[in-house]
Amino acid sequence: MGPGGLTSTSYKRVSGDAVEYEVFARKARVDPLHLVGSVVAPDADLAMAYARATYDEERWCEMAIVRKADVIRLWSPGE
Amino acid sequence: MRDGDRPQGRRDPALVAGRVSLSDLVLSIADNKQMLGLRYAEWATRAPSLEADIAAAAMGLDDLGHSRVLYGCLEPLGSDPRGAERESHPASIRNLSYFDEPWTEWSQFVAANAILDTAFTIAIEACVGGSVEVLQHRLRKMLMEERYHFLHGRSWLRSGIEGAPLLQAWQEALEFFGPPDGETERLHGDGVLSMGPQQMRSRLEEQLETRAPSVAIHWDVWDPLRRRTAEGAVDQHTFGMLRGLEEKRYAPPAAAQQSAR
Repeated sequence: MGPGGLTSTSYKRVSGDAVEYEVFARKARVDPLHLVGSVVAPDADLAMAYARATYDEERWCEMAIVRKADVIRLWSPGE
Repeated sequence: MRDGDRPQGRRDPALVAGRVSLSDLVLSIADNKQMLGLRYAEWATRAPSLEADIAAAAMGLDDLGHSRVLYGCLEPLGSDPRGAERESHPASIRNLSYFDEPWTEWSQFVAANAILDTAFTIAIEACVGGSVEVLQHRLRKMLMEERYHFLHGRSWLRSGIEGAPLLQAWQEALEFFGPPDGETERLHGDGVLSMGPQQMRSRLEEQLETRAPSVAIHWDVWDPLRRRTAEGAVDQHTFGMLRGLEEKRYAPPAAAQQSAR
C-alpha cells in the first residue's frame, strides 16, 4: 500500500474528463527535450496554460506537451 | 515618436484627444492590470485544482508585472496623470467596477480571465500597433505572455459558467473600449492607436468566437478617465494594501516610529 492507503495501481491523478499531459522542455537548441513534469487538464489549451504556469521558472527555449496516453511504451519499469 | 525623446512634463498634441490623453488610457490599463493581478492572486489557493491555483498565481504575477511596465511608460509619454489624490481616494484608482470587491465565485474569475483580460490585451495590441514607439517596444512582450492567459480563460469559459458574471464582464469590457465616437476613436483616427472601440470590440468577439451580448451602456454617465459608468471604488482593504497602509499595520513598533519621522 502506498501513501494514504492507496495501492500503486489504484491511484490515478486524473479524474472525470481530465487528461494527463507530460511536459517536455529544453534550455538550448543543442539539448534534447527532456521530461520536466506533468499537468492534468480537460483539454490541450488548458494544459498549455498550466504547463507554462507550472514549469516556467527556468529559461526554456522550447516547451512541449504530449498526452500521456499517446506515448507508446515498449516496456515499463517492472516489466 | 522615439522612446525617451520626449521632454518630461510636455505632451505631444497628437497624444491628447480632447481632455483624455493616451497617458490616461495607459494609466487605466495599468490600474486595471494591477487590480486583475491582485484578484487573480487572491485565488491562488482557492481555484478548483492545483494546476488552476498555480495558473492563478502565475497570471497574477504576470499582470502585476505588466502594470509596472505600463506605469513606467507614463513619464516617456510626457505626462503622468497620477496625482496626490491616489494616496487618499480609492476612486482615483482607474479600475473597472468588476475589480472593486474581491470575487466570491470561480465564475467571476473565469469571466474576468476570458473577457476582461483579453480586452486589456486588445487595448495593448492597439498601443503596440499604433504610432508611439515607447509603447510599440515596451508592451510587445506582454502579448506573448497574455497568450497563455487567453488559453486558460477560453478553456474554462468553454466548460460553462454562470451568466451574471459573464454579462457583467462583457458590459465592462465594452465600457472599457469607450464610446464609438469618443476620445479613443480620435486617438485611433490620429494613428496613435491601431484600433478604435469598434475594432477592439470586433477583435474581442473574434477572439472569443462569439458575439457580444446586447447590453445597454449609458455613455452619458460614462467616466472617460475610469472608463466605467458605475459609481463606487475599490474596497478600503485593497486600497490600503495598494498604498502600503496594510503593511504598516504589521511593521515592528521601532520601524513604524522611524517611518513616521
